[in-house]
Order: sequence, then C-alpha cells, then structure tokens
Amino acid sequence: MLATITVDDEKCNAPLSCRKCILICPMHALGLGTSVAPRKFEEMAPKDFILRGVRLEKCTGCMECVEVCPQNAIEVSF
Amino acid sequence: MCVWCELYGGGYDRWYLNPANYARRLYKIRREEAETVWIKDAPLPPGGSTVSREFIEACDRGDHETMERLKREEEQRAAVGHFGQVVTLEDALKVVDIMYPIVLMTCQCRRLMYGTPDEENFFCMGMGSGMYKWERWPDRYRGGVQVLTPEETKEVLIKMNKRGLVQGVFVFGTPYIAGLCNCDYPDCDAIRARVDYDFKLYWKGHHVAHLHPDLCNGCGNCVARCQFRAINVVPSRNKVYIDQMQCFGCGNCASICDQEAITLVGRASLPALANQW
Repeated sequence: MLATITVDDEKCNAPLSCRKCILICPMHALGLGTSVAPRKFEEMAPKDFILRGVRLEKCTGCMECVEVCPQNAIEVSF
Repeated sequence: MCVWCELYGGGYDRWYLNPANYARRLYKIRREEAETVWIKDAPLPPGGSTVSREFIEACDRGDHETMERLKREEEQRAAVGHFGQVVTLEDALKVVDIMYPIVLMTCQCRRLMYGTPDEENFFCMGMGSGMYKWERWPDRYRGGVQVLTPEETKEVLIKMNKRGLVQGVFVFGTPYIAGLCNCDYPDCDAIRARVDYDFKLYWKGHHVAHLHPDLCNGCGNCVARCQFRAINVVPSRNKVYIDQMQCFGCGNCASICDQEAITLVGRASLPALANQW
C-alpha cells in the first residue's frame, strides 16, 4: 500500500534548517523542494523550501516523522 | 560500444576523454538546446526527483504501460540535457587534465534529498566557463565555491574515492561535460533513480569488476564500498560474489581489496555486458 504524506507548509516554515523528520526517516522517503523557482542574484528564503514525501513506496508507516515534527506539520495516511 | 562514444568519441578511447566535449563554445549552444527539454523558471522538485508520484503510483498498481512511458520520457529528457556516467578514479583524474577551471561546490542532490547543510555538503565539482559566473545563481551554488588547482582537484578526488564515493561525469546539455560528481546511495538522485527504478540517468561505466575467487578471503570490505548492490559475501564459501550484471564499473571494490582479488576488465570484452549501460 502506498503512503500519502501531507505537509502543512504554513507550519513547516524552515525545513532545510530543521530537517528533524528527514534525519529520522529510516527509509529516506522524504525530500525537500522549493515553492518558487531559483532567481538570479538572490538566495532562496528559508520558507521557500518545502518538505514532501518523495519515495512514497519506501514509507513503512512508522510515523517517526510525525512524532518528531516540532510543528505537528506532517500527516501520514494509508 | 557506448552510444556516447559513438556519437561524441571523436576518435578518443572514451567520449569523456574527448576535449571537444568540454569546449567553451558548447556552454552557450547547450543552453538553447537544453531549454527545449528543461522546464525553465520552475521550482526545484522535492527530493530533486526525476521520479514522479505518477510513476510510483503506476508501479503500485502494476501499470507497466504508464511506467514505461514515464521512464522513456524522463530518459529522453536526460539524454538531451542532463545525464551522467560512472568513471573510474583513473579516468576522473584524466578529466582534470582536460577541463579548467574546476570548483568544489555543494551538492544539490544531497541538499534536496537529505537537507545536508552547506558546510557538510562540498561533494560536487563544477567545471568550465559557467564557474566564472556562479554568483548569478546563489541558490544553485549555496555555500559558495572553492576554486581548485588541477593538483588540488586530484587530491580531493583521491580522498573522496578513498572514502568510498563514486566518481561520475555529468553533462549539462549533451555533450557538454561540466560536472564531476562524487556520489553515493541513497542521497544521489541519479544513483537512486537508477538502482531503485531503473531510470537510465546514470550510465554504467566502461569497466566491470571481475573476481578471482582463489585470492578472495571473504573479508567483505568490498561489499561496504559498493553503492550499486552488486556484491555480497557468500558465508558458506567464505568468498564474495560480484553480480557483474549489476556492476557499474566504478572500481571502488577493487581499490579496497588488499588481496588484489578484484580486477577491472573492459566492458567491451564481455559480449553479454558490452551493450549493458
């Protein structure tokens, strides 16, 4: 069964510096992307990064990411 | 023969040893060509991923037609714009003598796959005239760049190889080679896409590891070095087994073996593997 991982981007506002969920995920199923395109001469703001479930077929449903998230921003369902 | 050697070999042993594929003029040309396949001004896909949710869902329901179609589309895009090939350390060092300048920069894959902080993430080597203008794209070059002399580059490559990282050349608009990567599973998007889903974005190299069983003592040091799941220890025989069909020819196993039980042979010398890239 394939997991659905939803992230509340409002609550998860600096995933690149936080990355607690990414570090704890035993299957490396999570990844970071951006909500805007890279711009010339400008570094991305921390809130422009977004966390997503990427390798969804690897998610076992252990819920460690949900538990570790200080913002309660992650939901995992099957 | 490797299709890239056929198309861009120019009489050299391998396409990535042909200086024409590093030519400065390609830097401009490739941009126009690549724009036909790259989505411009797009956000960075989560995980740097070339493998979409659509593909994973198709796998899940066993929809082979959709899987093949998505894979083909992605591979065609990669062939025009951005793919890589595994090279041995020896060949990587030869590349250093062809291309200039070379900078050490942070790895985009590891950033998007693992959120690796910039200061721990200097694994990628960017090459060519694009490096003079890196400041235009502060996000692509997060953490800045460290310009290396050819000698320094070689030292870094040898050190990375010792650590177990796999060297590979990457094109930015075929056949313009402008990346010399130091990759590992599962943080490299190219290795992961290939090993987990068989998307051919990272091509096998020109060599294959060959085991001499009489010399192997089964220590398994090589197993820990393989990023492609091609080796395991066979406990009942106290030897390792190398799956040559799965081998990418990086040479990581051979270089750690103190029994010299593993040698690299040319892929072309093995008829069944000669066209397996």
